[in-house]
Amino acid sequence: MTVLTTTTVQLLVLLPALGALAGLLLRRRRAFSGLVAVAAAALAFVLSVFQFAETAGRSDVVPTFGPLPVGELQIPLNLLADRTSAVIAVVVAIVGLAVQVFSVWYLRDDSRYAVFASTVSLFLAAMLLVVQSNDLVLTLVGWEVMGWCSYLLIGHVSARESARRAAYKAFLVTRVADIGFVVGLVILAVGAGSTDIGTVMAHWAGQQGSGTAALVTGSPVLTAALVLLLAGVAGKSGLIPFHDWLPDAMEGPTPASALIHAATMVAAGTYVVARLHLLFAISDTARIVLGVLAALTMVWAALLAFAQTDIKRMLAYSTLSQIAVMASALAFVLGPDEAPRLALGHLFSHALFKSLLFLAVGWLSVLAGGTAFVALRGRARGRGALYWSLAVGLASLAGLPPLVGFFSKEGVLFAAEESLSGHDAGLAWFVLLALVVTAGLTAAYCTRAWLLLSTERQGGLVELEAEEGQDESSEEAAPAGDEAATGAHEARPVTMAAALTVSALAVLTVVGGLLLIPVSNGIHLGLVMTVVSLLVIGLAFLGVRAMAAAGHDPARRLGPAVADLSDRGFGFDAVYVAAGRAVIAVARLVVRLDRDVVDAYPRGAASLTGIAGRLGEKAHRAAPSAGLLAVVVGVVLIAVAGVTVWH
Amino acid sequence: MALTLTLVVPAVVAVWLLAAGRRYAPRTARGLALIASVVTFLLTLVTVALRTEVDAPWVTSLGLRWHFAVDGVTIPLALLTAALGIAVVVHARGREPGRPGGAIGPSGGNSAATYYACLLLVEFGALATFFARDAILFFVAFEVVLVPMWVLISRFGDDHATERARADASNRFVLFTALGSTLMLLGILVLVVQSGTSDLGLLAAAHGAGLSAPTQVLVATLLVIGLGIKVPLWPVHTWLPPAHTIAPTAGSVLLAAVLLKMGTYGIIRLAIPTVPEGFHVVAPFLAASGAIGILWGGLACLVERDLKRLVAYSSVAHMGFVALGLASGTQTGMQAALFGNVAHGLVSALLFFVVGGLKERWGSADLTVARDALRDVSPRMGFALVVGFASALGLPGLVGFWGEFLAVYAAWTPAEGLPVPLFRICAVAGVVGMSLAAAYSLRVLRLVWAGHQNWTGPVGPAPRRSRRDDAHGAELLVVLALVALVIGLGVVPKPLLGATETDVTVLVPRSSPVGPASSATGGTTVEASGP
Repeated sequence: MTVLTTTTVQLLVLLPALGALAGLLLRRRRAFSGLVAVAAAALAFVLSVFQFAETAGRSDVVPTFGPLPVGELQIPLNLLADRTSAVIAVVVAIVGLAVQVFSVWYLRDDSRYAVFASTVSLFLAAMLLVVQSNDLVLTLVGWEVMGWCSYLLIGHVSARESARRAAYKAFLVTRVADIGFVVGLVILAVGAGSTDIGTVMAHWAGQQGSGTAALVTGSPVLTAALVLLLAGVAGKSGLIPFHDWLPDAMEGPTPASALIHAATMVAAGTYVVARLHLLFAISDTARIVLGVLAALTMVWAALLAFAQTDIKRMLAYSTLSQIAVMASALAFVLGPDEAPRLALGHLFSHALFKSLLFLAVGWLSVLAGGTAFVALRGRARGRGALYWSLAVGLASLAGLPPLVGFFSKEGVLFAAEESLSGHDAGLAWFVLLALVVTAGLTAAYCTRAWLLLSTERQGGLVELEAEEGQDESSEEAAPAGDEAATGAHEARPVTMAAALTVSALAVLTVVGGLLLIPVSNGIHLGLVMTVVSLLVIGLAFLGVRAMAAAGHDPARRLGPAVADLSDRGFGFDAVYVAAGRAVIAVARLVVRLDRDVVDAYPRGAASLTGIAGRLGEKAHRAAPSAGLLAVVVGVVLIAVAGVTVWH
Repeated sequence: MALTLTLVVPAVVAVWLLAAGRRYAPRTARGLALIASVVTFLLTLVTVALRTEVDAPWVTSLGLRWHFAVDGVTIPLALLTAALGIAVVVHARGREPGRPGGAIGPSGGNSAATYYACLLLVEFGALATFFARDAILFFVAFEVVLVPMWVLISRFGDDHATERARADASNRFVLFTALGSTLMLLGILVLVVQSGTSDLGLLAAAHGAGLSAPTQVLVATLLVIGLGIKVPLWPVHTWLPPAHTIAPTAGSVLLAAVLLKMGTYGIIRLAIPTVPEGFHVVAPFLAASGAIGILWGGLACLVERDLKRLVAYSSVAHMGFVALGLASGTQTGMQAALFGNVAHGLVSALLFFVVGGLKERWGSADLTVARDALRDVSPRMGFALVVGFASALGLPGLVGFWGEFLAVYAAWTPAEGLPVPLFRICAVAGVVGMSLAAAYSLRVLRLVWAGHQNWTGPVGPAPRRSRRDDAHGAELLVVLALVALVIGLGVVPKPLLGATETDVTVLVPRSSPVGPASSATGGTTVEASGP
């Protein structure tokens, strides 16, 4: 059994990586590279299901290359197969497979399709590595490789300056946040003398005593490490203040967005915190930081989502908000392992409905020729499977029962509700309030999106003109360059495989509540919070519908300035630009110092020597006998010194 | 025997080429050089496999012995040198000076033989340095590379640069290095005179026994400054950027991948085991210098306009990590430094091959000139550039990551007695430097690979027929081999780490890291105050 598990887990990480390599080598043969990419994802899916079956009620440590010989530090490089890793691996593989199948159609006319598919495979391998990792170093490896893959995917259509900038921004923002992540990991590893996650947790948790762990304030060193770690998590998961890279990342082709948002990159932050939750349970400060950041982010992003003029950017903000919802569950300590299960439950369901939404929007954008709401107005009507897929996706995002999003969100509310009376009461009230507000806002922007997609415009020409300007800049990453997106309405019929993929995700979103049971250890519903959240959702729905009377865009009621500001993320980008400028100013100073101070000494020495030489030459010419004398004296002195020292 | 031959073959062929090479056509000269470098590589393999040793009296009056040997610390560097020895000769095909279209140096005169001779002499000197087991012998070997490298820079350097710029770059190189060598020689002489032997094995085994503390500090200071100029450490790095900018591609490759390693190798071989107490005193300064170098180099790269200078400054940053690892005084730090040494050798070689190739095509390496996206017009060169810079920014899965991450770890928990706060600041500086590396690496990729923001020509992949300018033949072979190594050792670092493991335990005694002790006390206080 164990041998089987070992091989399964090793192959689960290795196969997508090999798939990436093979895809790259076969890049000239489009059909082959597509086949390899889909096959690698499919095999990963099969293996992940296998792992799920294998790990019922047990966990196995799986070796890889064996420990690295690096002196005092232990780096065992092990993987871990347990229920948590198995479930998340399954959903990652599902999303990966869906994305690969869908991109075969979506990027049909892209001459760099093979590179794209290989990058997606590598991305999957990296995420699966993070999921299976039992070693901080392996986690870091997967973490950074994911960042790199997202850089490549976001910048895929590199002919556009906006895509190049978005890719640069995404990598740099997450990399700066990773300063904290790396230092945090190093502190944790230094304490334990090992990077093995089990050893690390045993070391740090062991110091606190076990039973009353939650009541003990963690040691300052641990708190510092965890808060630093959270900085990196905030970068990858897009928590404030590192959130602004994600909406810009919409420059990538839509399947790439589906992958980044649904199951990899942004979800990785939550997953890593969930894995180390035992340590977060000890440190109040770290959990308060996490809870507050998550609460702020979820409300802020949901507010911004409402007035977006581009559906992809709206989805990006909804991702920020939903990831923060997941993360907020981790700010609490319930029973053993319960809070992380609830957080991962929402990760699971978010992966399903968000990949569904992105792929469906990708499909729709090909039909409609863009992702701006102006272009998509009423376009979902009469599309059969696509219509229902979008409906299911948005309803699940809004948290309507009995869809998967409802159950998992109620789970997070449950976590906050349970903590109201406990040790974390203050934080719990704060987060709970944020969650309820977010539920309302989410319902509101989903309603707006749905109304815009499913109803025709009635005499809204004024809006059209106002939004024309947006259209160009937020143009969808067109599969075949810019002209295809605008001109090729209905030109490329969707393939059966791509349509089936979207439909399958829709079905999973509907029945996902059942799949949630093994993830969250049963369904958790707090009665009061369920009623409250449904009430809020209902009110939001009615309110937005009222605003949309006569076919107006509800967001326009807020005035054009709000929409404009929302589109630009309230100008948060300027903060990054200012930070960048400051660093560049320091760099210019360094270059100047390098030239005018550090290098001045050698130059000075050179000219001094030159002057001395000329003076010596003059002296020599003036009085040869003196020069000769000096040489003789010098030789004698050196000889005497040499003999005495050498002796 | 194999060991002596490993050294004799490149030296003899080099002298042959220098003496009689003027009559040879460039092809003949290259053929000879190629044979010599391949034979040298094979002999190095044999030497490494058999772990042979030669020890014969040489200059008896000075107590100097012909003493060469192989151990784990030597192996990776020797293999790297011998392999790059082949690479630079192969890569020069079609670029010889004096050839029509030859890209190396000012044309005119048949100097191909001299060029190849210089390459072989550098290889000979570097191999001798890495194999030497005698302090005086080490110094002699160390000096051998000076003149051929000077010739490579001044005579075969960038012909777009002015005569004055070439003279400045090569003179700077020689004078800085000569100053370093002088200091190192002083250090070696004091060490040898005081301890009565120049055998590095005996000196290391003694661990500084019998040397007074002031002597140890003096020796360590002289050696670290002297060798640090070669590394180069901040603030004695200003010779490197001009040298790299002017040197021909092969010169840059050898300079970055081999010559700089001689500096760190010297510190590992000469300073750390022989005068441990003295090195202990110098270590904090070394760490600070490394950390400043990391930030300094990274920042300079952010605004540097010349691509070759940029890679040179990034070398300063990467060697800063090696210095940081060495300074930590732990086995982990030593492993990090040794790995980082080889990693930087591979990555800088790859980058200089690619960047040098681009400069040959473009006529300059100015980043402000808008050009068509490399991924569109030369996808192979573009791929190699991406791998090189991805590794430069420390992307895991590529070779650059391990040395830098481990150096940061080691700096966080330095050996006992070293100032922990300072080292932790240095560790944080290292991590900040890694994100600076990301910033400058992606800056280059954005401008050169993805497409320049000021480019107004056509965009999108060029048809394959029009990609004649892309890497092919010898250049492609060399670049792909390096890419394979960068990825291979990045994914599976264990063989390289394993090679150096046992010898590191000899050089540095296992220390009890500071971290657990301090955190353990933190834990007990908390436990005492708990319920």
